[in-house]
Amino acid sequence: MGRTERNTAEIEALYRQHGAALLLFASAISGDRGRAQDAVHQVFLKAIENGSVSQAKNKKAYLFACVRNAVLNDAKVQDRNMPLDVDSAWFSPPDRDYAGEQNLRRGLGELPDDQREVIVLHVWGELTFSEIGDLLGVSSNTAASRYRYALAKLRGSMLAKENSCADSR
Amino acid sequence: MQTPDDEQFEAYLKRFHPIAPEPVPTLSVSHSSRRSLPFGTWLAAVAAILVIGAVILHILSNRVVVSNRSGDAAIAERHAPSEPLTMRSANAWLATAPSFKAAVDDLAFRSQTSPLPQGKQSAVAVLSKEKIRL
Repeated sequence: MGRTERNTAEIEALYRQHGAALLLFASAISGDRGRAQDAVHQVFLKAIENGSVSQAKNKKAYLFACVRNAVLNDAKVQDRNMPLDVDSAWFSPPDRDYAGEQNLRRGLGELPDDQREVIVLHVWGELTFSEIGDLLGVSSNTAASRYRYALAKLRGSMLAKENSCADSR
Repeated sequence: MQTPDDEQFEAYLKRFHPIAPEPVPTLSVSHSSRRSLPFGTWLAAVAAILVIGAVILHILSNRVVVSNRSGDAAIAERHAPSEPLTMRSANAWLATAPSFKAAVDDLAFRSQTSPLPQGKQSAVAVLSKEKIRL
């Protein structure tokens, strides 16, 4: 197997393994599913071209950082702040809990950007607080603190939505 | 410090799996192109060999025809009547010629430089005087 083929195979494996979490992270930052998809594709296409992923020590954290940069650069180029698009599904819900999925999306949408980033990176990206701190340029304690706040807010928000749904029935 | 409630809620959140992205076009294309590239190359190579073979065969067959024709002409030259063309000499020439075509070619392009003896007519002159009824 040649060097290029090995590189492509490795990138394919990384895409299968982390693609979903990366897309969720990109959606959580950009607010738009289409732009998020473009950003993830852009990162992987560049990775295929220059083979930079294979040189990274922590490949997963590197990919999350690349996706974040791609989304933020795109936002700079387009110079617009889009509201979070919560109409398209982000998750495949357990036990067909579509209401729960919608509540989760809306709850995430209500979080401040920095807290939403941290919660997505830790829960679905499975990055440690230290890795999140490196990625966002903050300390691991700050990342952990943001996470706790985010988790509390999200839980409160989802419970409130569930209760309001139950009351309306 | 995470509370048991936090951990429970985190576990609940993890039950929601993020939807996988669409495949990267290049990743799916690169596979097929890697597979089809040798096939395409082989196809092109086979086509090129066939074309070259056909051209070579064509050239060789033309050479054979030309050499056969030149052979016929040489034989015709050897056997062609040296005297002026008359009906008798033409008949004699047709009887001995290797092929009808070679005989006609030779008769048609032979030089008419040698003058006819008195009282004799060329076959072409006789044929030209005949009235052909259709």
